[in-house]
Amino acid sequence: MALIQDNDRKFLIDKFSKELINPVKVVLVTGKKGISQITQYNEEYLEVIQQILEEVKELSDKIELEVIEFNSDNPFIKEHNVEFLPFVAILGAKNSKVYFSGIPAGHEFTTIIEDIVDVSREETKLSKLAKEEISKIKKPVNIKVFVTPTCPYCPRAVRLAHQAAMENSLIRAEMIEANEFPELSQKYNVYGVPKTIINDSVEFEGAVPENMFLEYLRNATAEN
Amino acid sequence: MGEIEKRVNTVIIGGGPAGLTAAIYARRSLLNTILLEKLTPGGQAATTDIIDNYPGFPDGITGPELMQLIEKQAVRFGVEIMFDEAQEIIPKDSLYIVKTQGGENLLTKTIIIATGAEPKPLEVPQEKQLRGRGISYCATCDAAFFKNKTVAVIGGGDSALQEAIYLTKFASKVYIIHRRDQLRASKMLQEKAFKDEKIEFVWDCVLQNALGEKKVEGIEIKNVKTGEFKTIKLDGIFVSIGYNPNTAFLNDFIELDEQGYIITNEDTETSRPGIYAAGDVRKKSLKQIITAASDGAIAAYKAEEYISKNK
Repeated sequence: MALIQDNDRKFLIDKFSKELINPVKVVLVTGKKGISQITQYNEEYLEVIQQILEEVKELSDKIELEVIEFNSDNPFIKEHNVEFLPFVAILGAKNSKVYFSGIPAGHEFTTIIEDIVDVSREETKLSKLAKEEISKIKKPVNIKVFVTPTCPYCPRAVRLAHQAAMENSLIRAEMIEANEFPELSQKYNVYGVPKTIINDSVEFEGAVPENMFLEYLRNATAEN
Repeated sequence: MGEIEKRVNTVIIGGGPAGLTAAIYARRSLLNTILLEKLTPGGQAATTDIIDNYPGFPDGITGPELMQLIEKQAVRFGVEIMFDEAQEIIPKDSLYIVKTQGGENLLTKTIIIATGAEPKPLEVPQEKQLRGRGISYCATCDAAFFKNKTVAVIGGGDSALQEAIYLTKFASKVYIIHRRDQLRASKMLQEKAFKDEKIEFVWDCVLQNALGEKKVEGIEIKNVKTGEFKTIKLDGIFVSIGYNPNTAFLNDFIELDEQGYIITNEDTETSRPGIYAAGDVRKKSLKQIITAASDGAIAAYKAEEYISKNK
């Protein structure tokens, strides 16, 4: 049975045909149940996520899907610093670090669709001011955004982080599905979502407007 | 003031049910329309678990689903959604400039304000420290963090009861703390909540403080009738004590009531010509998705009429 409903499929085929420009490569890193990168909370989703992404690939001939089995020697795993599975990267010409750990389902499905559009167009929807400021960052930045699939505010927080990563390849932005990684959620004191953590030093709750996001980013990068 | 970057017929501020419906009507009148949305389209409606009172969905529909459908409909008619927040409205001759946080200046003939309202924050000393650490304003977002835990919902309206009922899917016990001994919520929701074995009502009590340093560990409540204080050990506090309208950016530019809601006539016209208010941001007696949509339709209709008259 298809996971993407018929009317959504039609809508997305139309959207992609109008909006996609350059090819986009979606990489899924998956693994065998029982390895340490997979928790008991997300092993049941491994097949689901692969099916969702295969269906997404079918929506446009500009989308390519590669499925990699986790192996710590694999250069992709090293290059992209894959720690948690399932892991998804949205890659375009610019090699931005736009990642998902855990299943991008529920509200986060929108995020992956919008990310594919932006990566394909090599253009984000951030404001001019934000683009200017983000492009000036000179040191690596790590952004984690914890979400749940039932959180309608979360895509905004993830999209801000992902778009920042698209604007500057020194920024690594990762969505983390909190329910699937309870230990990680506990480590970062996540009891509410969205929760964004920048460089493990600056954290904030909620989907904040772009200017506040920039301020947090400024604070986190200033401390380094 | 910065350069004018875009000229349009209508700027709709806010992408909840009022703003999106205004967009549908404005676009069907072929008005060149920009909709400003600061977060994600859908507004508060998108945070509601099940919507049982919107006509056309006999079995109910989830808030996110309904709002995605309305958004798709608006997009189908060609509205441009801009992810940015209105900062200020400045009159310019017979037009207006909407300045945004992202540095854009939108020159427009008409404006439809549909910025909605935000949950009122708890006014207790520990609110700031414990927000996101057990104090939550969104049950659908955060309920999963409270599996087999004890939580409290503060409030007694429809949304408080809806949140409490939703939380029973996860939490082992849900207290509803209400300042009176009667609920404002609809009778059907009340019945459902009274029947639920996981829900316990605590009447005539207000929250004095949230307890805990790194995360919520309990609450201190005060009985308003007896003056007695009591603490309850629990892990989460869900706040549902009403709303504040999002009108701070207007800086008295248009007429507001004492609580900050925009005053309009029944045609959604505000104190400024060409500016309309729709949805929860407008002073009115029934704040529902259906009345927000209705406001949006009227506002777009009046905006078109205004533009035709002032050509």
